Amino acid sequence: MLMQIIKDTMFLQMKQSFVRPMFRFCLIANPIVNTIFLYEMYLQKGADTFLNYVVLGAGLMGIWSCICFSSIGDINRERYSGTLALIYVAPGGFGKIIFGKVLGNTMLSLLTFVISYITACVLSAFTWGEESSGIEKFLSTIIHIENIGYFIFASVMLILTFVLISICFAFILMLSRKTELYMNLLEIPLIFICGFTFPVEVLPQWIQNISNCLAPTWAVRMLRSSQMNWESFGILCIELLVLLLLTWVLYKWVDRRIRINATLEVS
Amino acid sequence: MKNVIEVKNLKREYVTTKGWISRKKESLMAVAGIDFSVKEGEIFGLLGENGAGKTTTIKMLITLLAPTSGVCNVLGYDTFKEADKVRGQINFVFGGEMGVYRRLSARDNLLYFAGLYKIKGEEAKRRTEELLKLVELEAASDRLVETYSKGMIQRLQIARGLINNPKIIFMDEPTVGLDPLGANMLREIIRKLKAEGKTVLLTTHYMQEADDLCDHIAIIHKGKIVAQDTPKQLKVRFGKNGADSTLEEVFLCLCKS
Repeated sequence: MLMQIIKDTMFLQMKQSFVRPMFRFCLIANPIVNTIFLYEMYLQKGADTFLNYVVLGAGLMGIWSCICFSSIGDINRERYSGTLALIYVAPGGFGKIIFGKVLGNTMLSLLTFVISYITACVLSAFTWGEESSGIEKFLSTIIHIENIGYFIFASVMLILTFVLISICFAFILMLSRKTELYMNLLEIPLIFICGFTFPVEVLPQWIQNISNCLAPTWAVRMLRSSQMNWESFGILCIELLVLLLLTWVLYKWVDRRIRINATLEVS
Repeated sequence: MKNVIEVKNLKREYVTTKGWISRKKESLMAVAGIDFSVKEGEIFGLLGENGAGKTTTIKMLITLLAPTSGVCNVLGYDTFKEADKVRGQINFVFGGEMGVYRRLSARDNLLYFAGLYKIKGEEAKRRTEELLKLVELEAASDRLVETYSKGMIQRLQIARGLINNPKIIFMDEPTVGLDPLGANMLREIIRKLKAEGKTVLLTTHYMQEADDLCDHIAIIHKGKIVAQDTPKQLKVRFGKNGADSTLEEVFLCLCKS
């Protein structure tokens, strides 16, 4: 039954998200625009940086935007449509429902990588043309993944990181309706601090210290490595455990506070 | 008959803060110490003007809000501390057009909520079909809810509220905005629920409706219960013309004084 609730909620969320214009913009238009900018920026840097910073960079920016504007904002949407109270008191368990929602959105957001990749391919066909051996050359460099098994593993770790962050923010949003505003403020800084579009090493040391405390930084580092990076994996696991613990504590605390503060509905 | 709802000296205060620099607290006592009990299988009406505290009381009973103080028990369980034991056995319907997924069909809405109430596969499908028939939404069951009229959405709300075959159903102004046919259908459903031995706690602004349906009525005014009894006894006690008075006269008499 637990899996059924998560699965049903996940598919319901995917269906609901996809029909929303804002989500479709974050999912489709946003990665196209970001890929074009990043492509132009990294055009002279060589093939190695292409996969890492154009396709992955635009994909990561897209996922993060979807999370900021959808996974987290969904709590407010449910609040305004009067369904938040209904799902909260359902015996299926509110935590599972939130997990299903966030998982659905995150899985759907992975489409940003595909869109970013297709955009990069189209751009390369126009830019390089026949003189530089055409799209075949580009494709052979851009999709070259050293260890496919490791890449899938790193992607799963990345999904896990984003899911946990989204759940944390979703719980906080249940306590305060202003969280959505703060999430909008967080969107761009996190892209820079966690090194979605350029290496964090180019940032000042004090910002790097902040970066190292954030799980997405290590998840992105893992994704960019061609083989198992034990240091990144170890630190990511510790940060994810801390995040998991924080999520659990938040869940228990929020479950009490929302009934005391009456923040589930619009007054 | 045993009591399935017990409320003793129940209070709920809303506290809000205002201001950016010097935070100022403001409080409102929405429910100011009420007592009542509801017996198994009866229809209990909670009447009062807007802002009297009816909805807040229902929200505490359905585990959505924490009481500030007092006793709030449903089926013998504390609705704050033992919410998990209560939730599967009750359900609620709020009036209005909120509380449904508008971009899903009625059938998908009901199937989803069946899952949330831990009703499995075939049983969920059977229950969904049964309820769609009960609220006469079979023909429109595969249409998106956003294409529904207000009355249809409210009927869907009722079906959703019955999805887990609850022992107690809480209805907060369920007939508000319904046309006479829809309101009549709902009243028939409530009578049917009573015949099946279910307990219904109902709030309404339609006095005739309360008079027709309720076994017991409590009138709530500014967060306090000012009278409670059977409709007939309320008329005898507070009506100008005794048993010949209307419930509306009783309500106006109590709330104006």
